[in-house]
Amino acid sequence: MSSIRVNPYVLPDLLADLNNTQQQADTASLQMSTGSRINQPSDDPAGAAEMVANNAQSSQADSFLRSINSLNGLLQTADSTMNNVVTALNRAISLGTEGANGTLSDDDRTDVANELSGIQQQLLSLANTSYQGEFIFAGTATVQPFVADSSNPSGVTYNGNNGANSVQVGEDYSVQINLPGSQVFTGTSGNVFQSINDLINALKTNNNIGSAVTEVSNAYNYVTGQRVFYGNALNQLQAQQNFLNSDTLDLATAANSISATDMAQAATTFSQAEIAMNAELDGISRISQVSLFDYLK
Amino acid sequence: MSSLLATMYVATGAMATDQGALEVTSNNVANVNTPGYSREIPTLEESPPVVLGNLTYGTGVQLANVQSVRDPILQLRIQQETGDQGQLNSYVTAMNQAQTLFTTGTNDIGTEMSNLFSSISQLSTDPSNLSLRQAVLTAASNLATSFNNTASNLVAQRSNLDLNVVQSVQQVNTLTQQIATLNGQITALQNVGQDPSAFIDQRDNLINQLSGLIDVSEIKSDSGITLTTSRGTALVTGTQSYALSTQPDASGVQHIFSQQGTDITSQINSGALGGLIQARDQTIPGLLNGLNTLASGLANAFNAANTAGFDLNGNKGGNLFTPPPAGVTGAAANMSVAITDPSLIAASSDGSAGSNGNVANFSAIQNQTTISGETPTDYYGNLVFTVGNDVSNSTAELQSSQLVLQQLQDQRGSISGVSLDEEAANMTQYQQAYDAAAQVVVAVNQMLETVVNMGATAVSS
Repeated sequence: MSSIRVNPYVLPDLLADLNNTQQQADTASLQMSTGSRINQPSDDPAGAAEMVANNAQSSQADSFLRSINSLNGLLQTADSTMNNVVTALNRAISLGTEGANGTLSDDDRTDVANELSGIQQQLLSLANTSYQGEFIFAGTATVQPFVADSSNPSGVTYNGNNGANSVQVGEDYSVQINLPGSQVFTGTSGNVFQSINDLINALKTNNNIGSAVTEVSNAYNYVTGQRVFYGNALNQLQAQQNFLNSDTLDLATAANSISATDMAQAATTFSQAEIAMNAELDGISRISQVSLFDYLK
Repeated sequence: MSSLLATMYVATGAMATDQGALEVTSNNVANVNTPGYSREIPTLEESPPVVLGNLTYGTGVQLANVQSVRDPILQLRIQQETGDQGQLNSYVTAMNQAQTLFTTGTNDIGTEMSNLFSSISQLSTDPSNLSLRQAVLTAASNLATSFNNTASNLVAQRSNLDLNVVQSVQQVNTLTQQIATLNGQITALQNVGQDPSAFIDQRDNLINQLSGLIDVSEIKSDSGITLTTSRGTALVTGTQSYALSTQPDASGVQHIFSQQGTDITSQINSGALGGLIQARDQTIPGLLNGLNTLASGLANAFNAANTAGFDLNGNKGGNLFTPPPAGVTGAAANMSVAITDPSLIAASSDGSAGSNGNVANFSAIQNQTTISGETPTDYYGNLVFTVGNDVSNSTAELQSSQLVLQQLQDQRGSISGVSLDEEAANMTQYQQAYDAAAQVVVAVNQMLETVVNMGATAVSS
C-alpha cells in the first residue's frame, strides 16, 4: 500500500480532546464563580505566595486602623479632660485675682477660698477620669491615680506610676498615647493641686495672695503645654489613618491585579470551550458509526 | 500438458487459501476493540510450479503464514511513556490533595498568623483589658490548631499513599506472574513453529500495565523476555517471576523489597509507584519539615517575647506556647498554647498592669527573620510557592506526557490498529477470489462430466 495508513482508533483522541475542553470550561467557570484566578497554589505559585504576603500586610494595616479607632476615643477623652482642667484653672486664676483685691473682707475671701475648694474637687475628679474602665492619668498603673490626702502639701497623693505606653500604628511607627498624671498634674514646673491648695491657704490667711495667683497661672501655662501632647497625638493618628487608608486601597488594588479573575476573558474562554465541546460531541456522535461494511449490505 | 484434476486441485487450493485469509479478516474484525490487539495479515504465496516438458505450470496459491503487524521499538517507547505518565499521574493526584491545605482561605496558617499579630496589635491599645488578652490567647490557639490540622492532614495523606504503595506492589506481582506464564506459552509455541501472536499481544499489554506501575527494563532472549527494574532488580526471567514484598519500617512507612530481600524503595522512580514514593518520601516530608520549622520558630519567638515581660499580676512572663521539641520534628502536629489564663500574657515591660511596653516584642516577630533567615510570613509564602510550583510543574509535565503518549498510541494504531474499512475491503476481495475459484471448480467439473460422458457414448455405441 502506498498511502499512509492512519490510526483507525479516533475515539480515544476525541475523548482526550473533549476532556481537555471540559477542563478549560471548568477552570473558567470556577474562576468566574470565585472571582479569583488563584484557587489553589498551583494555579499561579508566585501569585499565591504574593497573596500570602499581601494578606499579611493588609491584615496588619487593618489592625493598625482598628488600633487608631480605639486610640482616638481615648485621646479625645484625655484632650477634653485637659480642656476642662485648663478651664478650671482659668476660673481659679480669676478667683485668685479677685481675692487679691485688698478691699475684700475676710468673709469674702473665705467664700472665694470655698469656691476654690470646689474647683480642687473638680480637678481631682478630672485627674481620675477613666476611659473604658482604665484611668487615663495613671501612667501604666491600673489604680485610681489621685487620692485626696490632707497630710500632703498638695492635698493629693499620686498612686499611679511614671510609665507611658506607645502603640504601634505603622510598620515602623509608634505613637505615645498617654502622659502619666504625675507629669500632667503634679509636675515640678507646675503643680495643679499644690498651686490651688497654696492659693486657698493664702486667701484664708490673707498672706502672699499675689504670689499664690502667680503659682496657679504657672500651673495653668504648664498644663496648657501638656495638653498640646494630646492634640499632637490625635493629629499624628489622623495623618497615619489617612496613610493607612490609602495603603489599604493600594494593597487591595495589588491583590486584585495578582489574583482577580479577568471576567471578560474567563467568560470568553468559557463560551469558547462550550462551543468546542458541542462540536466535539457532535463529531464523536457521527464518527466511527460508519464503515465500508455499511455500504456492502 | 496438465490434467483437469490438477486444475481442480489448484482451484480448491485457492478456495481454501481465500477461506483462510477471510478467517484472518474475521479475527481482525472480532478483535477490533480488544486492547493491545495487533492486526494480522495473511501472507499469500505461489505454490511451487510443476515443470512438464517445456512448460512450467503454476500450482496455485497457498497461505504461507499469518503475521501480526507490530513495531517492537514503538512498543518500548509506549512502555516508557506509560511509566512516566503513571509516575506523574500518581504524583499530581497526591500533591493536589496536599496543596489544598496551603490554599489561602479562612483557617490556613497564613491567615491565622495574621490574626494572631492583629490581636496583639489590638492588645497594645489597652493592655490590661481581659477580653483583648483573651482574644490573643484564642488567636494563638487557632494558629496552633491550624498547624495541627495541616500537619495531621499531611500525615494522613502519607498513610493513604502508603496503602496505595502496598496495593500497587500487589498489582506488580500479579502482572509479573501473568507475564512469566505468557513467556512460557510463547516459547512453547515458537518451539513447535507456531504463531504466538495472540500471546505476544497479551504480554505487551501486560508489560504496558506493569510500566504504568514501576520502572521496567526489557531484555529479549531466547527464553522469552526478561524484565528488571531500571536498577536491575529481576521481575521476570523466562517463566520465572520474582515477587516484590512490602514491609513497614520503624515509623510504619512501607518499604519495598526485592525477592532477595534488598530494599529497593528509593530505586523506583517511574510508574505509579515512583510517583507515590516521591510524594510520600520526599515532597510531603519536605512540607512537614517546613511546617515544623515554622511552628517551632514561632513558638520559640513568642515564648522569648512572653518571658521578656511581665504579666497582668506583675510576675515575670512564662511560655505562651508549649516549648517545641528540640529537633523540629513534630513541632507543627503538637503545637499548643501553654496557658489558659489571659492575665498571664506578658504585655507589661515593667510589671505595671497597664504597661504595653512588652507588646512591641510580640509585634516585632512578624518582621524578624527568625525562621531560617526569613520572616514567618515570607517563610510560609515560600512553602505555598514550593507546593504550588511543584504541582504546577508536574501537571504541565503530565499534560505533555499525555500528548506524547497519545501520539505514540496514534502511531501504534496506524501500524497495528484494525481498520474496519480495510477489513471490509479485504473481505470483499477474498470473497470474490473464493467465488471465482469456485466457478473454476464448476467449470472443471463440467469438463470432467464431458470427458466421462464421452466414454459412456463410446461404450454404448
